[in-house]
Amino acid sequence: MRTRAAKRTRATAAAALGTVLLLSGCSGTDPADEPMRYLSLAWQTQSVEANKRLVEEWNEANPDRPVQYVQGSWDNVNDQLVTAFEGGDPPDIIHNESPALTSFQYRNYLADLSGDLPESLRSDIKDEAWQTVTIDGEVVGVPLLQEPQVLIANADILKEAGVRIPTSEKPWTWDEFAEISKELTVPGERHAVAWPLDNAVNRMLNLSLNYGGTFFDIGADHKVTVKVGDEEREVVRRIHDQLYKDGTAARAAVGMTASDPLPGFYAGKYAMVQGGVYTRQQVTEQAPDGFEWVMLPPLVGDSAAQGATSQTLSVAAESPHREDAADFISFLAEPENQVDLALGDWLLPTSQEALKAPELTTAKNQWDVATAASDNLEPAPYLQVAGFDEWKTRVAQPALQEYFGNRISIDELARRLEEDGNVVMARYETK
Amino acid sequence: MTLTEASPPPTGRAAAPRPPRPRGGPDRSALSLMIPALVPVVLFSVAPLVYGIYLAFTDARAGIGIETSFVFFDNFAHLLADGEFWLSFRIGLIWAVSVTALQFAAGMGLALLLNQDLRLRWLARTLAMIPWAMPPVIIGLMWKLVYHPEAGILNATLMDLGIISENLDWLNDFALALPAIIAVGVWTGMPQTTIVLLAGLQNVSKELHEAAEMDGAGVWRRFTQVTLPQLRTVIIAITSLNFVWNMNEFALVYVLTQGGPGGQTRLPMLYAYEEAFRYGFFGYASAMGVAIVIVVLAVLGLYLRRQLKEAEA
Repeated sequence: MRTRAAKRTRATAAAALGTVLLLSGCSGTDPADEPMRYLSLAWQTQSVEANKRLVEEWNEANPDRPVQYVQGSWDNVNDQLVTAFEGGDPPDIIHNESPALTSFQYRNYLADLSGDLPESLRSDIKDEAWQTVTIDGEVVGVPLLQEPQVLIANADILKEAGVRIPTSEKPWTWDEFAEISKELTVPGERHAVAWPLDNAVNRMLNLSLNYGGTFFDIGADHKVTVKVGDEEREVVRRIHDQLYKDGTAARAAVGMTASDPLPGFYAGKYAMVQGGVYTRQQVTEQAPDGFEWVMLPPLVGDSAAQGATSQTLSVAAESPHREDAADFISFLAEPENQVDLALGDWLLPTSQEALKAPELTTAKNQWDVATAASDNLEPAPYLQVAGFDEWKTRVAQPALQEYFGNRISIDELARRLEEDGNVVMARYETK
Repeated sequence: MTLTEASPPPTGRAAAPRPPRPRGGPDRSALSLMIPALVPVVLFSVAPLVYGIYLAFTDARAGIGIETSFVFFDNFAHLLADGEFWLSFRIGLIWAVSVTALQFAAGMGLALLLNQDLRLRWLARTLAMIPWAMPPVIIGLMWKLVYHPEAGILNATLMDLGIISENLDWLNDFALALPAIIAVGVWTGMPQTTIVLLAGLQNVSKELHEAAEMDGAGVWRRFTQVTLPQLRTVIIAITSLNFVWNMNEFALVYVLTQGGPGGQTRLPMLYAYEEAFRYGFFGYASAMGVAIVIVVLAVLGLYLRRQLKEAEA
């Protein structure tokens, strides 16, 4: 009786152990023999198609080092990647955006690609774009697509009001924009502009470069301090004025994210909406027949400079395929392929060769205006700050929400960004 | 690291009829019978729990090739001084207490109703169970649509009734967000509360009710003097369980608000999740988990002691 029980116990224990082993190390094959996984965050139909087509092209030309397309989503990619990196099984090739790379670099998740990229690629992509992915001297990704901030306007309303339509050569200044907004507002019926401000930290930081607002001081010893002086306050104050002083910006849009105000825009409730250049795609596809729109070039403050964030492709530090993965990325970043990807996402390529492509300089869908805006993109200092992500979600986002909700003053906003921000920065001082 | 995971390992005493034991050490045949049950408990419950507690005493953080060292009570010292964490704790307590209380009140009402001899009672009972059959993420998505400022059915209804004059952004308003998610929490948890209370109600003896009625007790009097005292143990069990579940709620709020606007709905579990998986401070996040468990146990201990004392009195 006892021996039988003991035997059974041993059998069960062995089975349990077997299960555990199965769970912990799924396969005995060498990861170096498996195809490279490419985690793509493309979501627009055209862009997914372009990506998949390029993967197929690569696999035909390189049967010995195939790539497998894995679909991801922007919504939760960073949480998902942290788990994958910590679990030791990250995708080999990772699509992301430059602000996320800083904290990944800080945790040694990403491979330094500086030695793996061909010279042709290095010189084709603009220096300003390379700077968005160069952290602590390491090149942790290849910048592919960029997104200038613009205004999309209802052309009929602008014509009716008889205001000057800005051009890439002579854009509106912020002062002009504020004045014209007053003309375009019809109290109770129409607001001149909808600023979707729910998730606005990156956008505010990028736009603040118009007045030289950099928000972060990086000392020689890498010590980071947050500063909110006059330059940093300028853009947010102007938007706040539009909302609560001039009444030219719709308060209802404050809690909205990027594409939420579009239905109201089509209905004529807003004369303009603020968004990235990709907003054109939604407008061309969704706007009712006969709706005339025009994209206005970026506003100008002391300069037209905007902070650039890039969509990027990186290689995981633990990938056994680093060189092959870098080759695949270089393939995707070739000018003609960048043109396809840019068209698919309605964003701008970083390749100078690609920017000259006829598809991207045509007046159709105002690609010419979008492409002209790419000259204004500059790397913003926040891309070098390891604690930026925490500062953004924990300090800046709530503070900006409250400020744009008219619940706190600009002084209180500045105080929180600085004081609470510096507490966050202190957590990242040791590497 | 939830309380519910930490089910106590079955002990020798639980293994039913006890033959006279040889002196010294536990019964060996009982022990060998227990091992198959203990292995998964140790592997999947105890080991992660112990590892989590260990992490709470280290400075573990996300990253490759990063050294982890033992820091004793540093994390807990920081935690004590971390105003934001305690703010989130306060939100967690407001959430857990109000959801539990409202769940109980609403569940009790519904249980009393379903205990009556109604027509189509089977249908009503089935309908009352539906929220239970839905995964929290689906519930979150569904309510997100209900609360949608432009297209949501709630705003549309309130507008039609003339109660509000402009659309409210329920989940992004600083004052409305917490009450809005509390309502969803109550809706989600009502079925199990109702079913447990209903089962309890069906055990309340009819004779006592009849006797009380004969003595001239009204409906309310019969409810407070006859029904409630007999339900006491059921009520204690379901409210304490609900409190623990609610305190540890994650998926629902993660889908609905992600803790926003401005941290107004950031429950402690969300906070710990952010700390670990967004910012990568594993050690500190574990310390938060441990602190949450300690506080929940303390609150629960006080509550149960009071209730049981009252029951004895």
